[in-house]
Amino acid sequence: MKKILVIEDNEQNLYLIRYILEDCGFEVFSAMDGKGGIELAASLLPDAILLDIQLPVMDGYEVARSLRRNPDLADAPIIAVTSYAMPGDKEKAIQSGCSGYIEKPIDPDMFASQVQAYMQKRHNKRGNE
Amino acid sequence: MKRITSTVYPLPHSHTHIPTHSPTHILTHILLVLTIAFFLTATPAGAEDRVIRVGVYDNAPKIFVSGSGKPEGIFIDIIEYIAKREGWKLSYIHGTWGEGLARLERGEIDLMPDVAYTAERDKKYSFNKVPVLSSWFQVYSRKGSGIRSLLDMRGKRIAVLEGSIQQEAFIRMADSFGLHMTIVPVSDYDKVFEVVADGGADAAVANHFYGALHARKFGLEDTAVVFNPSALYFASRKGANDQLLNTIDNNLSGLKKDTRSLYYKSLKRWTSEEVQFKLPAWIQTLGIIIGLALVMSIIGAMLLKHQVNIRTRELREANQRMEERIIERTAELAAAMEKAQAADKIKSAFLATMSHELRTPLNSIIGFTGIILRERVGPLNEEQKKQLNMVRSSSQHLLALINDVLDISKIEAGQLQIAHEDVDIRQVIEKVVQSASPLAENKGIEIGYRIIAEDTQIMADSRRVEQVLLNLVSNAIKFTEKGSVRIACESDGPNITVNVTDTGIGIKEEDMETIFKTFRQVDSGISRKHEGTGLGLSISRRLVQLMGGRIWVASVFGSGSTFYFSLPRNKRKV
Repeated sequence: MKKILVIEDNEQNLYLIRYILEDCGFEVFSAMDGKGGIELAASLLPDAILLDIQLPVMDGYEVARSLRRNPDLADAPIIAVTSYAMPGDKEKAIQSGCSGYIEKPIDPDMFASQVQAYMQKRHNKRGNE
Repeated sequence: MKRITSTVYPLPHSHTHIPTHSPTHILTHILLVLTIAFFLTATPAGAEDRVIRVGVYDNAPKIFVSGSGKPEGIFIDIIEYIAKREGWKLSYIHGTWGEGLARLERGEIDLMPDVAYTAERDKKYSFNKVPVLSSWFQVYSRKGSGIRSLLDMRGKRIAVLEGSIQQEAFIRMADSFGLHMTIVPVSDYDKVFEVVADGGADAAVANHFYGALHARKFGLEDTAVVFNPSALYFASRKGANDQLLNTIDNNLSGLKKDTRSLYYKSLKRWTSEEVQFKLPAWIQTLGIIIGLALVMSIIGAMLLKHQVNIRTRELREANQRMEERIIERTAELAAAMEKAQAADKIKSAFLATMSHELRTPLNSIIGFTGIILRERVGPLNEEQKKQLNMVRSSSQHLLALINDVLDISKIEAGQLQIAHEDVDIRQVIEKVVQSASPLAENKGIEIGYRIIAEDTQIMADSRRVEQVLLNLVSNAIKFTEKGSVRIACESDGPNITVNVTDTGIGIKEEDMETIFKTFRQVDSGISRKHEGTGLGLSISRRLVQLMGGRIWVASVFGSGSTFYFSLPRNKRKV
C-alpha cells in the first residue's frame, strides 16, 4: 500500500484529504506543522508528500527545501496543495523543490487522480530546471 | 646790483673722523697724520672757507632766481653739489647775461655758468672740459601764426636775446638761406617770449631748455626750426681759475658716470616740468575727462560688482534653501514612498492571507459537499440532495466572489502579472464551450462557435484569455432566456477578435459604458434575478487591456447583445 504523508495545519482540510485518499486505497500519515512533517518524512520515506504552503512557524517553501536536503527524499514527489493567492506562488513552490502543485479549493472528484498523476512523474531536479 | 650769498658749510669729511677709542696711541697718531695729509690734498684750494663767486642770470630751467630770491636750476644744483663736496662757500651775483660776462672779464666773479664755447670766447675765458649740458636753439612762434619752418619766417619779426650766441647763429643761418627778417633784440629771456606774446614780434629764438619750460605759458609753440647745437660749460676769466675748473671737471665726470647721481636727478627734476608744460590744454581736459570717466567707471564697476555680489549671495542662499527644501522633500517623498511600499506590502500580505483564510474553510465546505453528494458516505434522499446542491452552489458562488475580489485588488495594486505565452484561441474557445455547455443545456439555450480566422495562434496569458471568454459566455447564458449563444473568432489584421452574441435582454445605449465599471449590473431589478459579483466585465476589461487589447459591446435593447474583444497577436518575429 502506497504511503502518503500529508502536512496540513487545518484539521478539516486534513480530514477531507485523508478521507479522499484513504477512499482511493492510500495509507495516509499526517503532520500538523513543518517540523513534525520533516521528521516523519525522514523515518517514513513516503511515496508522496502533500504539502500545505501556508503553515505556522516554518512555511511550506522552507519545508520543501529541507525535505530536498535529505538524500533519501531527493526525488520523492512533493506536491504543494495551496490556495492560489499571489502571482508567482506556484513558481516559488517549484523553485523550493515541489514537483507538483494543486490549487485549493480541491475538487473532491479530481483530487485523487491529480495526486496519482504527480506520483507517477518522479521528481527530476535537473529536468525541472 | 643784487648780491645773493648762499653759504654751504663743509660737511665733515669722512676721513676727518678720528677714532677716539683706539687701542693704541701709535695707531691713533698714524691715523691722525694720514687724515691730515689726505685732508690737505683733497682740498686743492687750500683754504677751508674759500668763497667762489658765481654769476647768475635768468634762463630757467638752466639757471634763474626763483620767486623767493633763491638761485635755482640745473647749473645751481650741480655747482652746489660740487661746493658741498669740495668745501666751498658760494656767493651768487645776479644780473643779466651780458652783465655776467662783463663781470667775469673784470674778475668780479669767479665762475659764469651756462656758457657755450666759441673760438672768440676762448680768447677771453677759460672753460671746464666736461660739457655740463647739451643744448640747441629753437624757434618758437605764436600759436596760429603759421610759422612752422624756416621759410615761413620770411619777412617776419623775430625776437632774439641781445648779444647772445643764438643771435649771431640765427642771423648767420637766415642769411645763408637768403631770408630777410626783422630782428627784435631783447635784453632778457623772459622778455623774448613776452614780446612775441604781446605782438611785438612773430617768433622768438630760445634754447630748448627755456622753450620747453616757458613756451606754453606765453601761448607759444615750438617750430621745426632747430639750429646750433652747443655744449654749455662753466667759464672763468682766462687762466685765472684753472684749478677750480679742473675740480669741476673731476666732479662732473663722476656725476655723469652714475645715472643715479644728482646730475641726472636734477635734469629729470627740471625737465619733467617741461613735459607737464608741453601738454596741450585739450589733452589735459581730455585726460581729466578720461580720468573722471575711469574713476566713475571704476566706481560703477565696484558698485555693480557689489550688487552682483549681493545678488550672487542672495542667489546662493536661495539656491541653498532650495537644495535644503529639495532634500527635505526628497526625504519626505522617500518616506512616503517607503510608507506606500510598506502599505502595498501589507496589502499584498493581507490579500494573500485573506485568500488563504477564506479558501481554507471553503475548501472543506466544497470538498465535503462533493463527497456527500456523490453518496460515498451513504445514500441521500431527494430533499437532502436538493439542499446540499444549494450549499455547493452557494459556496461556489462565494469562491467566485473571493476570486473576483482578489483579481480586482491585484489589478489595482498593480500586482497582477500577465504571462506572455503561446495561446491557441481555438483551444480556448473549445474549452470554454465545453465547460459552459451544461449550463446552457440546463436553460435550453443553444451554444455554438465558429472559427473564421485561419491562424488562431497569439501571444498572451492563456489562463486570463480563458477567464475573459468564460465571463462573457457565462454572462450571455445568464441574461438569455431562450435562443442561442454563439462564439465567433475572426482575424483582424494584426489582431484577433472574438465575439459572443446572445439573443438575450440586450443593453440600453446609456448603459453600454457603465457595465464595464466595478460593481455595476444593469437594472437592479434584473440583477437580483441574475446574481453575480458585478465584477466580471470590469475584470475582463482590465485583463484585455493588460494584454494590449480592447473590449466593447454592440446591443439592441430587448433583442440581444454582442460582446467583442480583440487581442494583438504579438507573435515572435521569425
